Amino acid sequence: MSKLGSLLRGWRLSEYLVIIIEVCGSIALGIGIATSLLYVLGFDPGKGMALLLGGGFTDPDYLLSRATFIMMTGLAFSIPLMAGLFNIGGEGQMYVGGLVSLLTAIYTGNLLLALIAGGAAGLALGLFIAALRVYRGVNEVISSIMLNWTLYYLTIYLITNTFYDPLAPHESIKVPLSARLGFISINGFKLHVIFPISLVFILLAYYVLYHTKIGFEIRASGLSPKAAKYASLNPERAMIYAMCLGGFFGGVAGALNVLGFTYYIDTLLTTMYGMGFDGIGVALMGRGHPIGIVFSSIFFSMLIIGGQSMQMALNAPKEVADALSGIIIMALALPYAYRMVLSYLRARRLISRGSY
Amino acid sequence: MEVIESIVDLVFLALTSMVPLLLGATGEIITERSGIVNIGIEGIFLLSALTSTIIDYFTGNLILALLTGILTGMIIGLLHGLISTYLRGDQIVAGVGLNVFAYGISVIALVTIWGTFGNSPSVLTIPKFKIFGHALSPLVPISMVIATTVWYFLYRTGLGLRLRACGEDPKAAEAMGINVLRTRLLATVIGASLAGLGGSYLSIDWVGQFTKEISAGRGFIALANVAFSNWNPLMAILGAFIFGFFDALAIHLSIVSLQPALAYLFKTIPYLGTLAVVSIFFKRTRIPPALGKPYIKE
Repeated sequence: MSKLGSLLRGWRLSEYLVIIIEVCGSIALGIGIATSLLYVLGFDPGKGMALLLGGGFTDPDYLLSRATFIMMTGLAFSIPLMAGLFNIGGEGQMYVGGLVSLLTAIYTGNLLLALIAGGAAGLALGLFIAALRVYRGVNEVISSIMLNWTLYYLTIYLITNTFYDPLAPHESIKVPLSARLGFISINGFKLHVIFPISLVFILLAYYVLYHTKIGFEIRASGLSPKAAKYASLNPERAMIYAMCLGGFFGGVAGALNVLGFTYYIDTLLTTMYGMGFDGIGVALMGRGHPIGIVFSSIFFSMLIIGGQSMQMALNAPKEVADALSGIIIMALALPYAYRMVLSYLRARRLISRGSY
Repeated sequence: MEVIESIVDLVFLALTSMVPLLLGATGEIITERSGIVNIGIEGIFLLSALTSTIIDYFTGNLILALLTGILTGMIIGLLHGLISTYLRGDQIVAGVGLNVFAYGISVIALVTIWGTFGNSPSVLTIPKFKIFGHALSPLVPISMVIATTVWYFLYRTGLGLRLRACGEDPKAAEAMGINVLRTRLLATVIGASLAGLGGSYLSIDWVGQFTKEISAGRGFIALANVAFSNWNPLMAILGAFIFGFFDALAIHLSIVSLQPALAYLFKTIPYLGTLAVVSIFFKRTRIPPALGKPYIKE
């Protein structure tokens, strides 16, 4: 046995290796299917994939700003998942966060207050979903989706009916200048300040999850509710904590979008639509770890922007990026399959060496 | 008189909008009774609505279009079933991925086939029959017959018992000589084929065209109906009517109110109504014990 091989037999390292293989395998599968999809649709697959995967890098500021929102919705999915809940309501939490922070900004003109109000609105929605689950037994997948659609139409109603901009009726009243998050300049490179802010939120999530009692309760309850109970932890309380945290970050996603990037909400919610669902892929690919989520959010941001540049250059539909991320998510649901392939390959290698 | 007329209108509208909720829920009951949860009904609705619209548009053959919708459901069910059984994947995650994938594919198809981003041209719809002066789709009674048949199959036949055993206690089922993984795979395929029929109904019967928001969360309302019905297809008929009624109310109110802006507000009714109903009734349900847990054969 080589030295590397004996190292790999140690559990932790081989576990990391499996994760890397899993993520890379899922991406490869997604790219393979997306490439053949482009070919079937009659586009030049090489050119298309180059744009899809590379188009995001032409504007690094846009790449990172777009990553900001799905980084936050990624946290909105991953933290409840640690406690065993599937929060696919990141979409609704983002809408309500964006709406409430917009209204707070319009009425008070206070940036910090608006940001906090957006996060708090998301938190309240998360708490509601968790309470329905814990006290009424309502599956969080169903309540999340119902609330997503409710808030989708409610926000559209409020923007088209009450808070529209008289000069541009398909947009809401703009965020006042005093409540806007602007840019920072590093050596002449302009960057929306929301990206560094989101990194602070990532650190906050990391601290809460891995260095506080609340985080411990969330993680322990998710791994084994029974064991957590024996250790006098409360899995139901952990669910409520986790959904509050997740909802908060979902709300922050919307708040950062409105206060720091678009400065308004349009009547079709195009600037936010779908980013809550993108967060699910981000969280899964980042393996639920806040640091992993930073990298996977940039990856998904790259795909989304790449889809847009592909649409502009080749007139190929940008939704190829959606199909691709759907395949990646499905492939990420299959950790066991990768292990099976790996152990099959290992067994074959051993047999061919004759040492089995 | 006018009040009575609008109530009758509403009831017929509810009968129209209950079909996908009933077919989706009935299929999901079969799947979940075997121990597999498939939250990809939404995606199946979308893709089946799409494929049957395509076939309808190019051939004008409605039977073929319906069969294509069912076949689409079966193929997706096969994929989800394989992931959930032999590959031991995470069923919820796979379902979420399926929904995202379906959304992407449906818009891609809209753009490449018809060059639009929102909806397809109108297509031929299934002929309606007249009852009490109202037109009704034949799929309304057919879906109820299907639900009743599934109830009979699940609770009154040996095969149904074997299927339910896989969702109750897969180890005991295996000891009885049931091939748990194969049963679950089959149940997922059959369940998804019913959802596929529901998806076809949406486009080539009810709406008459494909729009990218044609399913609009109905897949998840069907899921809510599964739990509301306590995994019983007969109760699912009632559930589908109640949830369909909210949908009908939203449509009816936005027609009556004559204020286009209010329509957005009325559109929240089906979702809030569903949420309210499940919050009241969920506590009393009994979930199949092995639901959602991968079965690992020894």
